[in-house]
Amino acid sequence: MATAEVLAEKEKVQGINADYEEKFGFHDPETGYAYKAPKGLTREIVEQISEYKNEPDWMREFRLKALEIFESKPTPQWGADLDQIDFDDIHYFVRASEKVSQDWSEVPEDIKNTFDRLGIPEAEQKFLSGVGAQYESEVVYHQVNEKLEAQGVIFMDMDTALREHEDIVKEYFATIIPASDNKLAALNSAVWSGGSFVYVPKGVKVEMPLQAYFRINTENMGQFERTLIIAEDDADVHYIEGCTAPTYSTDSLHSAVVEIVCKPGSRVRYTTVQNWSQNVYNLVTKRAVAQERATMEWVDCNLGSKITMKYPSIYLLGEGAHGEVLSIAFAGEGQHQDAGAKIIHGAPNTTSSVFSKSISKDGGRSTYRGLLEVADGATGTRSKVVCDALLLDEKSQSDTYPTIRIGESDADMGHEATVSKVGDDMLFYLQSRGLSEEDASKMIVNGFIEPVTKELPMEYAVELNRLIELQMEGSIG
Amino acid sequence: MSNETTKIPVCPTSELGPGERKIIEHEGEFLAVLNCAGELFGIEDRCSHDDGPLAEGEIDQEACTVECPRHGSLFDLRTGKPKTLPAYQPVKVFPVEVIDDTIILEV
Repeated sequence: MATAEVLAEKEKVQGINADYEEKFGFHDPETGYAYKAPKGLTREIVEQISEYKNEPDWMREFRLKALEIFESKPTPQWGADLDQIDFDDIHYFVRASEKVSQDWSEVPEDIKNTFDRLGIPEAEQKFLSGVGAQYESEVVYHQVNEKLEAQGVIFMDMDTALREHEDIVKEYFATIIPASDNKLAALNSAVWSGGSFVYVPKGVKVEMPLQAYFRINTENMGQFERTLIIAEDDADVHYIEGCTAPTYSTDSLHSAVVEIVCKPGSRVRYTTVQNWSQNVYNLVTKRAVAQERATMEWVDCNLGSKITMKYPSIYLLGEGAHGEVLSIAFAGEGQHQDAGAKIIHGAPNTTSSVFSKSISKDGGRSTYRGLLEVADGATGTRSKVVCDALLLDEKSQSDTYPTIRIGESDADMGHEATVSKVGDDMLFYLQSRGLSEEDASKMIVNGFIEPVTKELPMEYAVELNRLIELQMEGSIG
Repeated sequence: MSNETTKIPVCPTSELGPGERKIIEHEGEFLAVLNCAGELFGIEDRCSHDDGPLAEGEIDQEACTVECPRHGSLFDLRTGKPKTLPAYQPVKVFPVEVIDDTIILEV
């Protein structure tokens, strides 16, 4: 390659980080923070968080028991390498603002600027039914469309929900993901803060999506939001979350728990577009239960982070329930995207599909880890799993670990997996039509993820394509 | 398959106070009797989630449940049904009676 081209290419590569810095990687000064817990996790810190939030006794006891569970469980060794996480070097609770505002003008200036730069208020005005914005450990802004409120839809941060709707929270909290489920769920249960609470009454259809935006600002911070969504009979809701963090030289931890209950005939779609900076460990437990004729859909877009371990799961426990997981993961240099899906067919005539797409480049590693289970007695089930991996160079890696357990002989199960490389012949063909090598590569990748992007609201599809293009820049040469 | 039941002596009532449990082995299967606020319940000592031991978990005498010590599913001692995930299938429950101060499990 000529020197001028090499320099131009170098600029583009540098441009990737510059863009993240400019758009997401900035961080605000921490002056004026209401409270920042010292590093490390102790019984005192857990009690302090609970006291600070003025929680009922049962929640304080739940947290303390979860702390014991966290301490007793070993760090998982079966997936990505988590041994580098120093749990004593993390701030477990950081409160940037004293209250949750419903008026954007009341949000503290620094925080408001952050979300202005991320385009949140603009999105709210344009196409959302409600917005929550979480900064560090707590939600700083929450607003829901008045019409929905009148219909009985509750959309608020979990801390407020625990105060204002304690009965509903107590009935469902940790019933889908108990604290003992896994070490990270136990950690979240001990120190959870913020997250969203969504309750959609019987028969109510929320036409425009509800959105929450999660932002980590502090270095060495852990963000542990807790989200609970309950869709009553025949209700319908789409919830979207977006996540970013500044670029620091040391690591942060994001460990959320998301529980969803889809009552008979309801439909819930949960979309994630995460673009964490490359120093965030993203270890999330997401699980939904779908009752009779209910539909649960996870749309999961994993970009960024150092390590992601996330396997959205759906328990199809009512006859005729349906579950779908659509996911893409992009693993660049130094990244390991260990993602997948779990579908449990626990009732007759349930159906599911999993479409997983992963792209690895510059030595990145993407893993699909899935479970498909058909219980004894779950007759007439149908499921299709497709996982496709695209490798952009010789040094990148893709692994697939599908587990399938079938308890009924009439189950109709399909599993397809492909691993492909961007081939010279594909590039040659597109270049013969006048495209540069880089544009040809982008086009191939965009085509590869199209089944997922077409399921996103337009604004998110555009954003995702832009993010992928950003990741792709400088990949040829 | 035989429908015959077997009566298994477990222990004297004095050895199983409220909140306590007794685990026994019968023909290669582990079974348990739990005392929940004075009422006795017989269940199989196996979580339906991953076949791990169940009866050594925490007993909630008010709610009449036992919590799987491995992943936290709560099982209703009256019915054997799980009240929380990750378990979603019931475990077997067995009748318990007391004859002459001895707890008997009927399997």
